[in-house]
Amino acid sequence: MHHKGLLVLAIVLVLSLLAGLACAGGQPATTSAPETPAKETTPIKIGFMGNLSSASSLSAKAAAQLAVDEFNAAGGIDGRKVELIVEDTKGEIPKCVELYKKLVMVDKVDLVVIGEKVEMGVAGMETGAELYPEYPHIFINTTGSGDVIWQKVATNYNKYKFGFQTYYYTSSGYLTVMVPKDSGPMWRDVIKVKKLALIYEDMEWTKPVRQGIPNVYPSAKEIFKSLGIDVVYESTLSLDQKVFTSVLDDIARSGAEGIDMVVGYIDEAAFVKQWADSSAKNLPIFMWGGLVGMPQAWEATGGKCAGVMVGSSMVREPITEKTVPFMDNLYNKFKVGAIFGSHTTYDSLYGYKKAVETAKTTNAEAVIKAMEKVEEVAVLGTIGWDAKNHYNLPSPKYITPSVQWQNKEMKIVYPTTLKSAVPYKNPADCR
Amino acid sequence: MLTLQNIVIFTLIWGSIYLLISLGFSVICGVLRIFHMGYAVTFVLAAYLTWMFFNSMGLPLWVSITLMFIVQFIIAIFIFYKGIFERYLDQEEILLTVSILVYMVFMYMANYFYPVTSGVNLPTTILEGTSQIGLVRVSNQMLAAAGLGVLTTIVIVLVFLKTRPGLIMRAMSQNVMTAQLMGADVNRMYYLAMIISVIPSSVAVLAIAPFWGIDPFMGMSLFITAIVVSILGGLGNMKGSIIASFLIAFVHGSVSYLYVSRFMALAGLIVALIILIFRKGGIFVGERLW
Repeated sequence: MHHKGLLVLAIVLVLSLLAGLACAGGQPATTSAPETPAKETTPIKIGFMGNLSSASSLSAKAAAQLAVDEFNAAGGIDGRKVELIVEDTKGEIPKCVELYKKLVMVDKVDLVVIGEKVEMGVAGMETGAELYPEYPHIFINTTGSGDVIWQKVATNYNKYKFGFQTYYYTSSGYLTVMVPKDSGPMWRDVIKVKKLALIYEDMEWTKPVRQGIPNVYPSAKEIFKSLGIDVVYESTLSLDQKVFTSVLDDIARSGAEGIDMVVGYIDEAAFVKQWADSSAKNLPIFMWGGLVGMPQAWEATGGKCAGVMVGSSMVREPITEKTVPFMDNLYNKFKVGAIFGSHTTYDSLYGYKKAVETAKTTNAEAVIKAMEKVEEVAVLGTIGWDAKNHYNLPSPKYITPSVQWQNKEMKIVYPTTLKSAVPYKNPADCR
Repeated sequence: MLTLQNIVIFTLIWGSIYLLISLGFSVICGVLRIFHMGYAVTFVLAAYLTWMFFNSMGLPLWVSITLMFIVQFIIAIFIFYKGIFERYLDQEEILLTVSILVYMVFMYMANYFYPVTSGVNLPTTILEGTSQIGLVRVSNQMLAAAGLGVLTTIVIVLVFLKTRPGLIMRAMSQNVMTAQLMGADVNRMYYLAMIISVIPSSVAVLAIAPFWGIDPFMGMSLFITAIVVSILGGLGNMKGSIIASFLIAFVHGSVSYLYVSRFMALAGLIVALIILIFRKGGIFVGERLW
């Protein structure tokens, strides 16, 4: 019994001791100093992917390099050096997927930027979503326009929250911003037309503009109508089309006072050349984007783009204090023109930089939260992203000015509030 | 009435331009009996060689055009005929593959040196402005291009009908062995056919440049027009090509004025296909050049 009593006592003591240790381990040590995370000192790695045979990707790559050089010259991001890794997708989706994995899993980049058509961005984002739980990172699509990327974020935030899209407009933006707040008022108040011809190119991105988004947004035609502008002619052009004389004849006959062209990829040089010698040559034209918005358009059309208006970020006019220095530096250092994709890439990297500096870490979750709130002065206005949908803040924060070819140069004609804006002229007066 | 006039004028103008685009291809098919898959290169070279001599080297336009033609002739004879056709005449699949490869090399070379953003444009406008024909307003340059199409065709047809080399080439198109037995210098005639073949396509590019988009990939869309016209007309038959050009232009014009312009390319192909189903070998079966 004596031995039994000692054994029970010993067990009780051991259990008490273990319980005590367990309790001590489960509670914070109130007497010790709080632990601070070690400051990250390794370089921040940014991966850029694009089709390096295409002009827009080359320009975007140069813009990324320019931003990174500027970061490093100014001490890096949050005191950390920045390293840019460039990969060529050759415009092929399998290559894009393979390189995305390489950048994230092997190079362990903190940010992946895709600067080419949106299909590549979508492929990259899907790959990123698979990798994100094990390899957290940020992804920004900076060149291709479209709805898929932001819609993925909107519909499945937890899976796609690492993805952001910087492009001037998305389909909802076309119908909530572009037509009602930009081109619509421009046609009504600046060019002063009451009847309009609407031309679309046969591509997915123009579908919501043509048809609206059922039960969400009306079509462009209906929006113009609400602004007091009747659409008297509508037609769609295919991308391989080279002959436009019949379309132009029909427009001239329709009574339209202007031509709004929802295009960016048709053979604009051919269209403009044929317009300049057609029965519709004195009707004002506004193209949403494309070749005519590039500085080389004057040469490429033999000056026949005189009077054409186009949405273009390539005009060398100060939208902010960053605009002209960016364009000059890009050309002087890389011999590359600032064409579409370059501004957005450059601005995205500055937006990311500010987010990292705000979060004081490259931890993806923290940076995502910071990117959802960040606003930074950019080449095209103010860069930042919508907290819910992750597309860039639309006009009037981030703008694509409407320019007109006057005297061999692109001049901003809208928004008229910009200091560098000049009065609109009739096409005949521009020739 | 206006629509009818539009269709008629569209047919005449674009029919003549399509003819200019396809005539050279028809000559090669007729004389050499080769489906020249590299023919698209002649359009690219016409635009970019002229631009290179004119813009990059600063030569006068007429000198640039002359040099372009000379280089085109050299490439047609030494790269395509001597380098490919003569060597692989009995191995058609290799001949076709290598021809396409040569076209692609030149296309990508043009894209490398003069990408779309370099703003290539040929100042080859002959007539500025527009003219009113009936109720229709027409670009003067389009009329000039159409006129050049008709003129070039007449000259080439006369060469084949009224000259001795033309007679020999027509004989060769019917039976090359017999022509050879009769003493025809076949090789020399092949050289001549290669030279003739690049003239209409080069003239076409120079004529349409003021109202056409110039880019390194332009060759393929023009080549497709040439193929459709030539096959529909009867491969290698010039008479057939003439009729097919205007037929395709009529279909394009009718569809674009009566329905929608986006449908015209497809409509042209459908009509060509239907005709080929009922008339095997095209409008004029291509056993001879004329």
